[in-house]
Amino acid sequence: MAHVARCATLGVGMTTSTVSSATDLRDRIRDASARALPLRIAGAGTWLDAGRPVRSVESLSTQSLSGIVDYIPGDLTLTARAGTSLAEIRQEAGKHNQWLALDPHGGDAGTLGATIATASSGPLATAFGTPRDLVLGIEFVTGTGTIARAGGRVVKNVAGFDITRLMTGAWGTLGVITEATVRLHACPQVDETIAVSITGDAPSVDRARQLLRRLPFTPYACEVLNAALSNSVIGRAEPIVLFRLAGNLESVAAQRAALVELGQPFDISPEAWSTLRVAESPMAASGPRGETGPIVFRLSRHPSEIGTTWTEANRVVSGISGALLHATPARGVVRCIVPTTSENLARLGATLDAADSKRIGERLPEQLWAAAFRSRVMTGIPARLKSAFDPRGVLNRGILGDAT
Amino acid sequence: MAATAPSPTVAAPSRIDQSLADRLAAIVGARRVLFRPSELLTYTADALPSYFKQPALAVFPGTRDEVIAVVRELAARGVPFVPRGAGTGLSGGALADGVVLVGLNRLTRVISIDHDNMIATVEPGVVNVALSRAVAASGLHYAPDPSSQAACTIGGNVAENAGGPHCLKYGVTTNHILALEVILPNGEIVNLGGTDGENEGYDLVGAFVGSEGCFGIALAITVRLSRNPEAVRTLLADFMSIDAAAQTVSAIVATGIIPAALEMIDQATVRAVESSIYAAGYPTDAAAVLLIELDGAIAGLEHDVETVATHCRANGARTVRIARDEVERTKLWQGRKKAFGAMGRISSHLVVQDAVVPRTKLPEVLARIHHIGQTHRVKVCNVFHAGDGNLHPNIAYDASDADETARVHIAMREIMTLCVDAGGTITGEHGVGLDKISYMELIFSPDSLAAMCTLREVFDPERRSNPGKVVPVHSCREWHMSPAARPSASA
Repeated sequence: MAHVARCATLGVGMTTSTVSSATDLRDRIRDASARALPLRIAGAGTWLDAGRPVRSVESLSTQSLSGIVDYIPGDLTLTARAGTSLAEIRQEAGKHNQWLALDPHGGDAGTLGATIATASSGPLATAFGTPRDLVLGIEFVTGTGTIARAGGRVVKNVAGFDITRLMTGAWGTLGVITEATVRLHACPQVDETIAVSITGDAPSVDRARQLLRRLPFTPYACEVLNAALSNSVIGRAEPIVLFRLAGNLESVAAQRAALVELGQPFDISPEAWSTLRVAESPMAASGPRGETGPIVFRLSRHPSEIGTTWTEANRVVSGISGALLHATPARGVVRCIVPTTSENLARLGATLDAADSKRIGERLPEQLWAAAFRSRVMTGIPARLKSAFDPRGVLNRGILGDAT
Repeated sequence: MAATAPSPTVAAPSRIDQSLADRLAAIVGARRVLFRPSELLTYTADALPSYFKQPALAVFPGTRDEVIAVVRELAARGVPFVPRGAGTGLSGGALADGVVLVGLNRLTRVISIDHDNMIATVEPGVVNVALSRAVAASGLHYAPDPSSQAACTIGGNVAENAGGPHCLKYGVTTNHILALEVILPNGEIVNLGGTDGENEGYDLVGAFVGSEGCFGIALAITVRLSRNPEAVRTLLADFMSIDAAAQTVSAIVATGIIPAALEMIDQATVRAVESSIYAAGYPTDAAAVLLIELDGAIAGLEHDVETVATHCRANGARTVRIARDEVERTKLWQGRKKAFGAMGRISSHLVVQDAVVPRTKLPEVLARIHHIGQTHRVKVCNVFHAGDGNLHPNIAYDASDADETARVHIAMREIMTLCVDAGGTITGEHGVGLDKISYMELIFSPDSLAAMCTLREVFDPERRSNPGKVVPVHSCREWHMSPAARPSASA
């Protein structure tokens, strides 16, 4: 798996072991802390291998800490251990015509814990938000080896400080999530996927955003794909806007009719969404230091500037053959997927550094982190949080930068 | 790093003296500093008439710069303080017991509105409904709508992570806050979150929202605005048993239709409302009514309304009435939103609870609450956000009657224990404050409470901001890092 690739880049031998329970994890963290041995915490290893530089010699996986703990369909809430795969949750909830409205890139093999820890989301964020909007409570183990809980199993809760949100997106640097309760949704009566061809220039992308802003409904998802990505997802080498429309029959018909303003919609298999989530996987692995997988990063600005962000993303990857781009107009984000080659790394090092948009690294070789991403030094409140919850720097050290 | 946490700062009245009053008056003007006990009476309670605490001094800065100067002055002197918005809270959270109260209700400026990106930045004292009014012309509104929205402030909403009836569909305050400029209790100014698309790093906005004034004071708050729905339909369904109304709630939730609001009002509350100036036309002979609102695009809305009405009837609704116009809709909502006020007619005192239970447990929990009321001879009124399972069992009583007061408190504790045992939590939107601090140990282990103390100390190591709230003090005192994890003295 990819963390092995990290070992290759780091040039050290990393051992990977699994934990069987929260108390087991607690003991392992206490032991690591006593020995000042930094740990790399991972789930299935699909996201935490994103190339963020972590200095550790031992990798601890929560993948075997799995299983659904509690699921009462009538409450639309589900509690599962961190290592439970999204696929298992999808399957179980699907039996009751319900679902967890999270579709992070990388597919359903990833674990619930890692999805929350990395705050990973996908196209559905347009309607349902990110993990911070869907997680109700967690159990976690801090860097001092303390098992604690925050939030609860009900859909509304303000009891105590919101450590649930603090841990969501903290990349396991403050505590390791061992269990989580999430909000489910009932499946809609109709769930349709359609596409509209666009010219693919900045104004055409912005028109999609303006339409979303104006319409009286919010589609489940709306993604703009460049021609290369469209070709790989639906087999048409032209820029498209992909919509996921849901609701009752009448509502979906009206949504569809409203989108005609953008162009003539055509039906697409809903499989397009799962294909989009793993769009990067067929890319050949050919990094100069043996990295696997492509380079993935995101550029972000205000949603109203999506045209500018799209133009900038195209400029950053210009001249790179096969670069895949998709924009989420409602969120102001453009995601870029580029094959890992020496030439591309060199080119991106320069073009990314010159980009004005906010840059978020998703999967990058270390040299790109250094060349084009924000300072890796944690200061202020983040640094204080790190030293309060993980005083010895045992958990995923460096993944969000080093505390001063 | 010390092996133990610093001991909590104790209010030191000696440090809150004339010299401090004079210094604060120099910052905000003499009229904006209250120091005499008679002037401070207004600030001895919030909207929950159960707790009365006298601040040593109250100061009312009128600008961002004045807030900063006040907080820094208090920091320099090591004086504890309590931030307060409109004082409409229902947990005793904004009470200052012998410390300084910092009133923020004069900071009422809407700093900026970005219609295109649907965001606004406001000062903390902006009244909730005033923000919606300020953006109404562009077809937008601020979604979280606590019942006190005509008076409560956005700063207070952020502190409490306030909810409201329409949070069922639109989410609570934390789902609508994008960025904050905060002055920490030590006087340091920090910016949390951002509005330019994605944010990386720790969700400090998420950590700050709902921190009940313990992490500092928000100087500027950037909120997400929501489009006004194209259409709204408000239904009133009445039932001859609470159980039937509760079953209807579960049936509606299971359809996948997410109502904008799904509220239950029981007979005792209906009668209080109907005999008040807020009479909404609720049937007084029904055991309970459900107030259900559906909104969104016109297309498909009637279909959802019909589906919901069908479920109401199938579960025993006697009548299902749909508001014909905005006037009728406003009237139906006024009854709900002013229900607590209407109860003021019944008795002089009121205890308000805010527990949340899993939605499938509603029928059982409501039946047992009724039983608890009977056992202790107290009158429990239920008016609550049924769609979220967020109960508000209220007991109106006369605090001058010691026997009744004692029975009320026993009943309240039993109700809370019942909700926790059903898998619920102690507060869904009102906050812990003073009122529920003794219940925190019902739902959190000492280690979990200690983790909260750790978080608080990151923002306020001296624990000077809103001391004594949210987490029981002894949980903090007991917080010691495990020896194995403790950094060496030189670290």
